[in-house]
Amino acid sequence: MSIQVTGTVERKGFGSGTWALVSEAGETYELHEAPSELQQAGVKVKVRGQVREDIMTLAMIGPVLQVEHYERLS
Amino acid sequence: MKRLLLLVLFLVGLGWALMNYQGLAAQGTYDSLILDFREDIGAAQIENQVEAIAKSFNASLRYNSEFSFDDHIFVVQGDSKLLNNLKRSGIGKYVEYIEPNYIYHAYATPNDPEYSKQWNLRGINIEPAWDESHGKDVTVAVIDTGISAVPDLENTKFAAGYDFVNDRADASDDNGHGTHVAGTIAQSTNNKFGVAGIAYEAQLMPLKVLSAGGGGQVADIAEAIRFAADNGAQIINMSLGGGGESQLMQEAIAYAHSKGVTIIAAAGNANRNAAEYPARYPHVIGVAALDPAGSKAPYSNFGAGIDIAAPGGLINGEDKLGGILQNTVNPQTGESVFEAYQGTSMAAPHVAGVAALVRAMGVEQPDDIEDVLKHSAIAVGDDELNHFGAGKLNAAEAVKLAGKGKFSFRDFFRWLRDNGYLNPKFWIDGGVIALWPKVLMMLGSYLLAWLLKHYFPFAWTVSLGTGLVMGSSGVFFLRGTYLFDAPQWPFRLAGSAIPEMGSAVQANGLLNPLTASILIPLGLTLLFLGHTSLKWFAVGTTIGMTVFLAASAYLNPALMWIGSGAIAQVFLIANALLCLALVRLVLKPGASTP
Repeated sequence: MSIQVTGTVERKGFGSGTWALVSEAGETYELHEAPSELQQAGVKVKVRGQVREDIMTLAMIGPVLQVEHYERLS
Repeated sequence: MKRLLLLVLFLVGLGWALMNYQGLAAQGTYDSLILDFREDIGAAQIENQVEAIAKSFNASLRYNSEFSFDDHIFVVQGDSKLLNNLKRSGIGKYVEYIEPNYIYHAYATPNDPEYSKQWNLRGINIEPAWDESHGKDVTVAVIDTGISAVPDLENTKFAAGYDFVNDRADASDDNGHGTHVAGTIAQSTNNKFGVAGIAYEAQLMPLKVLSAGGGGQVADIAEAIRFAADNGAQIINMSLGGGGESQLMQEAIAYAHSKGVTIIAAAGNANRNAAEYPARYPHVIGVAALDPAGSKAPYSNFGAGIDIAAPGGLINGEDKLGGILQNTVNPQTGESVFEAYQGTSMAAPHVAGVAALVRAMGVEQPDDIEDVLKHSAIAVGDDELNHFGAGKLNAAEAVKLAGKGKFSFRDFFRWLRDNGYLNPKFWIDGGVIALWPKVLMMLGSYLLAWLLKHYFPFAWTVSLGTGLVMGSSGVFFLRGTYLFDAPQWPFRLAGSAIPEMGSAVQANGLLNPLTASILIPLGLTLLFLGHTSLKWFAVGTTIGMTVFLAASAYLNPALMWIGSGAIAQVFLIANALLCLALVRLVLKPGASTP
């Protein structure tokens, strides 16, 4: 399932830390194997990617989003 | 015959358990002894004795405190050796008692230096639970990022695991999460290092399914569940979640459940209504997280799929005191660190640890373990959104509940301990009763009955068995029972064999020749010969008494009025032979049979 999300990158404090994308609508996605450019809290970004239904994680903060394409907005 | 065999096995087991039961006394530690001198012997005599002890044992006695002056209570440094020497020294006639000066402590607090920071363990009421169970020999599979052998797992046992991410046997941790979770379950405790874990005598099975990045494939997780079930895990902890419904995973969970595995999973950290998979599958105990104040942690999922709540911690920026502290690895360097984490990931292993404690108490079926965990939880009123499930995890109550419902020697002795005084060592050393002769007499009587049966066929009945027991040994363990404020003689009487009853009430170690003779068997036989079932009680009693009298002649020939020695021996043997003759007469073909 390919989706498009616009939001802000946040660091979530579960385990040793997890990268999340919080959409403008307030939905939290867990960034799966986040590209290094997105590993920075506060970055605004437009992402296209797949929601991975076959992945489980230790962070459990929301749908797991595998980034296919992104565009930094800030 | 089978029932008889079971009874004999039970009695042997009971005897064995009593011999091996350490008693209350053996549990305590002491490094000094208490001597209470009799009041009536006078100050001068006491002084003499104190000096004599000082001289012969090179030990100095002192008053325990200024308040013990009037009672003449002295304390002396010493161990069990000095205790025994003092008891043998003849000082006994000057003292009311000599006993170990036990060092008392409330509940065992572990000596791990950072234990004081583990608010979460006190929060689940762990200390009373540790009195009963440490999760010994229960295997807990940790399906996570792997487990690394950090220093504070040095005494923790491991079962062989597997790394499903890299497909290899070594399942060490490259993230830190799995090692942290494992620490909550079974961190080495009482090792004077680091922090404590809940079921620290349990065995950890590391199963790595999540990569260093913290994610993993449903297919690997399902395989890990089956691996755990097939390789002897009794508990599975899954501090992971997400994704969609998976037939593969649901089947793996059903399989593990059918093999008796209790499965626990974290509810998820999205603060949303409903637990994540796998917590929401049937047969999985879904765990929500509590903050240090015992409220729902702000991140914790709630609603459907939440079965119970446990501490997950709450970290406020740099202030990590509200987190769950365990030993783990730093993912960047691989070095050992003590780190506070938060999350339902941390809550789930609390439940898994307590499940291991419950499992070690003998509750085996996963549904029973789940029932124990839920019924012992502290229920939360007004929980309309189901933040807490059955309530807050309570280790002490869970272990207590696990101990009920089954009759164990532990319960029996606890009952005795709670209601009075019992010191089984005294039975064996001190001579209230000698235990092994009792067991041997009972076994001997069954053996004799079995031999007689060979020549004079008869059926085993309950009356016969009762007779055998009453004739040979009685319900002998009752003799060592003492209840506060209750006279002991009823126990002594009830715990006596028939031949002992003539002297049981007055607590006389000698046998009464009226009861320890052919008279009672003869009377019973004459009374009950015509009765189909009571006749066999008479037969059993006579056989039992044959053995009792013969054994007494050999072991302890001492009779009231007659005295001990050869005369008593002849009396006992003669009566044993008369009993045997009586049995033979009754059993002889031609005599009436039922």
